[in-house]
Amino acid sequence: MNSTSILPGKHIVFTDFDGTEGILVDLNTKKYYQLNETAMLVWKGLEQGKTVDEIVGQVTTEYEISLDHAKRSVEKLLGNFQSYKLVTSE
Amino acid sequence: MIHSETAFTNDYGPQRLTIELVNICNLHCSYCFRAEDALYNSKPEFLSVPVLRKVLSDAKRVAGTTRVIFTGGEPTLHPEFETVLSAVAESGMKSSFVTNGWHFERVWPAIAAHRDSVTHVAFSLDGITREENDRWRGGGSFDRLVRAFARCHFSSLPFAIKVVVRRDNSDQLEQIAIFAARMGANALHFVHTMPTSAEIDNTSLALDERRLVEEEVAVLSRIFKMNVAIDVGYYNIDAQPPCSPLAGTSMNIDYRGRLSLCCNLSGFRNGTDETDVVADLNVEPFVEAHQKMQDLSLAQHQKRINRLATMQAEGVTPDLFTGSPCLFCLHSFTKVPWHNSTDTEEPGIRSLPVFNSIH
Repeated sequence: MNSTSILPGKHIVFTDFDGTEGILVDLNTKKYYQLNETAMLVWKGLEQGKTVDEIVGQVTTEYEISLDHAKRSVEKLLGNFQSYKLVTSE
Repeated sequence: MIHSETAFTNDYGPQRLTIELVNICNLHCSYCFRAEDALYNSKPEFLSVPVLRKVLSDAKRVAGTTRVIFTGGEPTLHPEFETVLSAVAESGMKSSFVTNGWHFERVWPAIAAHRDSVTHVAFSLDGITREENDRWRGGGSFDRLVRAFARCHFSSLPFAIKVVVRRDNSDQLEQIAIFAARMGANALHFVHTMPTSAEIDNTSLALDERRLVEEEVAVLSRIFKMNVAIDVGYYNIDAQPPCSPLAGTSMNIDYRGRLSLCCNLSGFRNGTDETDVVADLNVEPFVEAHQKMQDLSLAQHQKRINRLATMQAEGVTPDLFTGSPCLFCLHSFTKVPWHNSTDTEEPGIRSLPVFNSIH
């Protein structure tokens, strides 16, 4: 997962709810997805073009968790984004 | 409850004011019925908050008004938008507004601060994809609308979507309804294109085509859980008042503080007369202005009843500019001076579609 670049889908509209919660709208399926604080951090990282490692690093900076824990959480989130076709891999 | 202006029942909704907060708009939709000069070529004008406060107080006392619907131009461009919402809340009334959604994120804190008095928001939409919508409204408009829908949906603020029916989207009403439902809209209100020029008049849907649209809307209103209705330009030849202005339950105040019959007549693009304006509330007492409005509303309804009765006696089915209350008023208030309303339809045209309750 780290070797490929993951980007938000162009068909996704993101709304930031005061930095603590976010909403994704998939314009293809017309479905809403609700993001919690961690998922927001990951999504914003993808929007900023960060690598997975950089996002994992940011998670460990913002939350008091181990690198392994952060990596597992981020990869799980990215897997969810991919399974719902919310992101594209390059 | 989101109220439609359509009145195919005897329920015209609460006593309400439509109030044009501003004359200007940040988008440039070619079919808009507000005068081009006011929207784009004049200096920005905003309804003053002191006038608004006085109007709210007087309307509540004299007319029993309980609801205010803000329009424009684009109402969120009012520099004191939050104070405007506060004024309504302090009056004990409820408010809603019609917006293109462009500035929704900016005004959201003001809306959230007045959540108890803001009943809903109505968003104008032109298509269910970026391409379809932004072709009419400009790049970036669709994404901003979708963000606004998300904001409302997840904040439990009811919202309506308003769509102008044109020749290019008249066969997509069901897809539009599915989109609105998926976005969580509480209401979907269609609007017929208004005849703002001879060219638009001639290229818009003809009466038979409009009736097909209205029948489809009636079908959709039965299928969908959200309120689906047609707000403007519909055909209705019943004897009862066809809309809230002619029933005396709604009035319009323009951005200059003048009282007029209906928001759809006010500042009409290419109109040549303003006989629908009864008073300048900057100088005239509301109680007198309100009486003039009641007289005008009754007289206008009677005028249309007489016209319909004459046509019925002659065995003629009313044409679009008589059968549609909106177009009848546009014509009789000289808003469409290029139009010669002598055309009639052959008898035997299909009957009025029956709408469900629209609250």
